[in-house]
Amino acid sequence: MVNELDCRGLACPAPVLQVRDLLSSEAPDAIVVRVDNDAARQNVSRFLEHQNYQVRFEVQGNEFRVVGTKGEGGDAPVESSVPGSVKKLKSGTGKIMILVTSTHMGRGDDALGDMLMFNFLKTLKEMGPELWRVVFVNSGVSFTAEGSEAVPILQELVGNGVQVTACGACLAFFHILDKMKVGEVTNMLEIVTGMKDADSVVTV
Amino acid sequence: MTSQTIRLTQTVKGAGCAAKLSPGDLDRALCGLDLPVDPNLLVGLDRADDAGVYRVSDDLALVQTIDFFPPMVDDPYSFGQIAAANALSDVYAMGGTPKTAMNIVAFPAKTMDLSVLRLVIEGGLDKMREAGVVLVGGHTVEDSELKYGLSVTGYIHPDRILTKRNLQCGDCLVLTKPIGTGIIATAIKAGLADQGVTERVTAAMATLNRAAAAIMQDFSVHACTDITGFGFLGHLAEMTVDSGYGVRIKAAQVPVYPEALEWAAMGLIPAGAYNNRSFRGSFVEFGAEVSQRMQDLLFDPQTSGGLLIAVAPGDAEQLVHALRTGGVEAAAIVGEVVAGPIDRIIVE
Repeated sequence: MVNELDCRGLACPAPVLQVRDLLSSEAPDAIVVRVDNDAARQNVSRFLEHQNYQVRFEVQGNEFRVVGTKGEGGDAPVESSVPGSVKKLKSGTGKIMILVTSTHMGRGDDALGDMLMFNFLKTLKEMGPELWRVVFVNSGVSFTAEGSEAVPILQELVGNGVQVTACGACLAFFHILDKMKVGEVTNMLEIVTGMKDADSVVTV
Repeated sequence: MTSQTIRLTQTVKGAGCAAKLSPGDLDRALCGLDLPVDPNLLVGLDRADDAGVYRVSDDLALVQTIDFFPPMVDDPYSFGQIAAANALSDVYAMGGTPKTAMNIVAFPAKTMDLSVLRLVIEGGLDKMREAGVVLVGGHTVEDSELKYGLSVTGYIHPDRILTKRNLQCGDCLVLTKPIGTGIIATAIKAGLADQGVTERVTAAMATLNRAAAAIMQDFSVHACTDITGFGFLGHLAEMTVDSGYGVRIKAAQVPVYPEALEWAAMGLIPAGAYNNRSFRGSFVEFGAEVSQRMQDLLFDPQTSGGLLIAVAPGDAEQLVHALRTGGVEAAAIVGEVVAGPIDRIIVE
């Protein structure tokens, strides 16, 4: 039986305590916990893993559904391979950095280029766990700001453990620093050291 | 939300696991602002150090800092002590001597008895007395939740300022208090912490960094900061980035509260720890042997944490010995400054 717990609107540590109470009273084989902030998602995931559940999560807009299932007699927490689960990047695996330098892809027709770029961002997740960081510079930073249809796509990437960053000077240049909706502000030093640390850098 | 649509009254929340504005947000807000320039401003906002330093004459500079936050413990007197120790710490971390302080208080007079306020301020005064600091005034506003802290002014010689930005290759890094207070405060809030650990951690947070700061003056110290809201790795990243060197940390040598490790595994982690990780995580590389819970602890926001001291390698053992015999019992060498990879923190 699946128990569903709605922990939206609760700040830490309340979601973890509610999950703990449910587990101690009912010990369900599967549990779904709905939360509305990333700290609660990670805390509930850690707690369920600690209680020997396999954990994955789904992103729905600004909310998360954390799904815990009891493994077949498995005592140790198992790293889930379900798409959308938390991918822990270990050093030594291939790290791909994507540098997005404008709002459109390629030269020729800008309207076509806009469509291609949007499609590119939407398809990026297919790179899987090797996708390490997506960096937006110049007009590309607008994808991270209010009004861009790419915001939910990038939020999903962040939820999958991908680092999404946008150049602070560029955001300021386009006067959208306070409209940033997803990711973190970055600077040239971090971009340059990121290029060095990545196993491959793809510029579009 | 844009500044046009924001309603300040709607932004106040009692949740308070992470009272400090996330570092990414702060950078975003301040980025590109035109800051005043003055040749006597020796340490200002652009360098983001523990405290500001302003030169008055060739042999005297003022160290100024401010810190306040909502309570992280239940006892009002202890909260006052901790808030004061935390605010004074920034002056010690710069190598200065605190002299005067002003109270900053936000108080919910409609819902809280005034005796609570009295106890909080008594706790603060206790630490000011211990530090040899005189209270010169203060400012109190009515608010929906209690907040307390100090604005502190101290003295320092302009040539003897200890910033966080002066790492030398080969330096040993010494930490003077255990980490994990953010996670333990979350466990206290959750009602899971027993009296023993609560008292132990409360006492540690209320301990001034004065003794540690005085002892380090006798050694060849190149840089120093205090560990607070950005967590051990967040503050270490501030020392490391742009230093021209890299840092290697031995996770097993970092002093921790063992209870915090257990609670981290249970997911009792303040939101601030995740903010710190997403802001500075890209500078840090963890070896496979560093557990998830230890990683969480290394990003855990600290209240009134210890000093992180970069000391010449030849002096490191003696500094730790002097600290331990001088009452700073948790002091330990936790890592070293290395030639490379530049600007990277490797935790192993």
